[in-house]
Amino acid sequence: MIAKKVLLVGNFGVGKTSLIRRFVKNEFSEDYISTIGVRVSKKIVECNNQEVKLLIWDVAGTDGNEKIPKAYFLGAHAAMYVFDLSREETYLTLDENLAMVKNLSGLQDFLVIGNKKDLLTDEEIEAVKTKATAKIDLITSAKENANVEEAFLELTQQSLK
Amino acid sequence: MIPSKIKLLFIQVEIDPNGTIIAVLSGEFSREAFQKDATIFTVAPFLEGTLDALTINEPFLLEGMLLTFGNKEFNVDVELLRTEKNITVLFHNRTSVYKYIDELNQKRNDLFFVKRKIAENNKELEKLRVLADKANEEKSRFLAMMSHEIRNPLNGILGNAELLASENLSEKAKIHSEHIIHSGKSLKVIVDDILDLSRIEAGKLNLVEEEVVLQNIVNNCISNLEIANNNAKVTIENNFNLKSDKKIVGDGVRISQVLSNLLTNALKFTKEGYVKLSTDLAEQIDKKNTITFVVEDSGRGMTKDQTQQIFEEYKQNNLDDNRILRGAGLGLAIVKRLVTAMDGSIAVESKLGVGTKFTVQFSFKNVLEAKQHFTEETTIENSSILKEKNILIADDDTMNQFIVKNFLNKEQANITIVNDGLEALEKLKKEVYDLVLLDINMPNLKGDELLKKNENFHFKNKQIPFLALTANTQEKEVKNYIESGFTAIISKPFSKEIFLKKISLALYKN
Repeated sequence: MIAKKVLLVGNFGVGKTSLIRRFVKNEFSEDYISTIGVRVSKKIVECNNQEVKLLIWDVAGTDGNEKIPKAYFLGAHAAMYVFDLSREETYLTLDENLAMVKNLSGLQDFLVIGNKKDLLTDEEIEAVKTKATAKIDLITSAKENANVEEAFLELTQQSLK
Repeated sequence: MIPSKIKLLFIQVEIDPNGTIIAVLSGEFSREAFQKDATIFTVAPFLEGTLDALTINEPFLLEGMLLTFGNKEFNVDVELLRTEKNITVLFHNRTSVYKYIDELNQKRNDLFFVKRKIAENNKELEKLRVLADKANEEKSRFLAMMSHEIRNPLNGILGNAELLASENLSEKAKIHSEHIIHSGKSLKVIVDDILDLSRIEAGKLNLVEEEVVLQNIVNNCISNLEIANNNAKVTIENNFNLKSDKKIVGDGVRISQVLSNLLTNALKFTKEGYVKLSTDLAEQIDKKNTITFVVEDSGRGMTKDQTQQIFEEYKQNNLDDNRILRGAGLGLAIVKRLVTAMDGSIAVESKLGVGTKFTVQFSFKNVLEAKQHFTEETTIENSSILKEKNILIADDDTMNQFIVKNFLNKEQANITIVNDGLEALEKLKKEVYDLVLLDINMPNLKGDELLKKNENFHFKNKQIPFLALTANTQEKEVKNYIESGFTAIISKPFSKEIFLKKISLALYKN
C-alpha cells in the first residue's frame, strides 16, 4: 500500500483539526482547543481503485503573519489550505497566503477549502466567493459533515498526481 | 540538573530507511517505546513519508512533533541525520516547554475569539442604536407635526374664547368662556411639554447664553403662580436672597420653565398651607455663581418609592391624577432633563402628608458689564402705539384672520388682510405699511420666501418690521426665521396679551 503525506494549513481556529477528526473518526466537538505543533493522523482511503494510506499532518494554525516551518513540508505530496467562511481576515488575503505556503512547500497546488458553511446562508457564501482573492475548491462543514469526505478524496487525488 | 536526570530528557536511536529500530544509542526518554526491531512509525508517525525525503548527510530538524506512546503524548523536537546506510534519530522531550507555548497559544486564540465576539456584538448594538435613533427621530418628527397641527385649531379656540370673554356676556356665559380659555391653555401646556421632551430626548435642545436678571425671572414665575392660585387656603411666598439687580449668564426661558414647572406642580398638590420659592447664593468661585432654588410646599407629600419615580415620564402618583389635576405628567420629567442639560442638579425630599421640597442648583457665569437690552419682557404699558397703524396680515387660515383682525380692530389699527404670499407681495409693492404679519405655510408663496423678494417691495416697506405667525415652534425653525429677516415670531396659539405685546414691541423698536 502506498503512503501519502498530506498537510492541512491555515489560520488558527478555521477548523483544520475538526475536519480531520470528522474524516478520521467521524466525530465533532464544539470546544476549541488550539493545536500545538503537529499531530499526525492516519486513514486508509480507496482512490482510483487502489488503497492509499493518508498520513494527515494537522499543522498548528498561524495568526496570518507567522510562517509554517518549512521542514514540515518535507516529503509532502499534497496540502489543503483551510479558511473560515465566517471570518473575513482568513480569506481576504487568500492569494498572498497561498503564494507564501506554495513558496515554502514547493507544492504547485493547494486544495482551497472554505470551512464552517453551517454558519452562513447560501447568499452569504456566494458573497464570500466573490470577496475571496483566490478560487475556492470546496465549501465544507465539519460540524454538519458536509463535503468533508469529498475534500479529503480530492486531496488524495492531488497526492497521487 | 544532575547527569543521570538529563538522560531522561532525550533518546537517540538508529533506524533503517524503512523505520525499523536497529539500536538505542543513548538516552532514557520513553525507553520502553523504542524496542529493537520494532517500527518507529508507531510511536513517531510523522517520520513515515518523511524519511524517504531526507537528504544524505544533511541534518534535519522537526520541531513540536507529537509522540504517542500508549496513552501518553509528548511534544518533542527531532533531529535527523541520514547516512548512506541508516538514519540516526534524536528525540528531545520538550513537553513542559510546549505545554507553556500551548497555554499561551490557547489564550491568544481565545482572546482573539472573545474580541471578535465583542466586535460582532458592538456591530449589532450599533445597528440597534441606529434603529432606535431613527425611531426616536420619527417620533420627534411626528410629535412636532402633531404639535403644529394642534396649535392652529387651538389658536382658533383660545382666540375666539378671548374675544368672547371681552363681549358683554351673562355671568354664566362668562364662566363658560373662562373654562374654555383655561382648558385651552392647559392643552397648550401639554402640547408644549410633549414637544419639549421630544426635543430634549433628541438632543435638539439648544440652550442660549443671555444676560438674565434673576429677580425678574423669579418674580414673573411667582406672579404667574399667584394668578393661577384660586385657593385662598394656600399662600405663596417668595424669599429672594440675592441682590435685586443680580445678573447672570444663562438661558432665562429654560430657568423660568424649571421654576414654573416646580411651582405649578407644588401648587397642584397643595390644598392648604403654602408654596414657597427661596433663592440663595450657595457658592461664588471665580467668575461663577452657584445659585440654589428651593421650592417647598405643605402639600400631600410622597413616599420614598414615589420620590424615586417622580422624574420619570407620564408619572403622577395617583392613577386619576391626570384627570383631576390636568397634565400629561411630563412637567417633572422635563425639569429633570432641563436641569441636566444646564449642568445643574436637582434633589427631592418629601414626607407623606407633610410636604415636599425640591432643591435645584445651577452654576452661572457672572455678567461683568451690564448692558441694556430690549427684551420681550420689556413692558409696553400702552398699546395705543397701534392706533391708526397700517398693518398687513397674510394668512390663508380664515380662523386666524378672524382672530387677528378682531384683536387689532380693538386697538384701532388699519388692517389689510390677504390670503397668501403672492397677494401680500402685490400689496407690498404698491402700498406702504407700518408692520406686516405673515403666516409661514401659505399657498403660492410662503412667508419666509416672500421676505427674500424684498427688493420688489416699495422702498418704505423695506425698513418695517415683519413678524411671523407660525405654529412651527422648533428652535431651529425659529432661528431660521429670524435669520431670514423676521423681526420676531408669534407662536400659535397666542393670547391677545402676547400678540399685542409683540407687535407693540416691534413697532416700538422700529
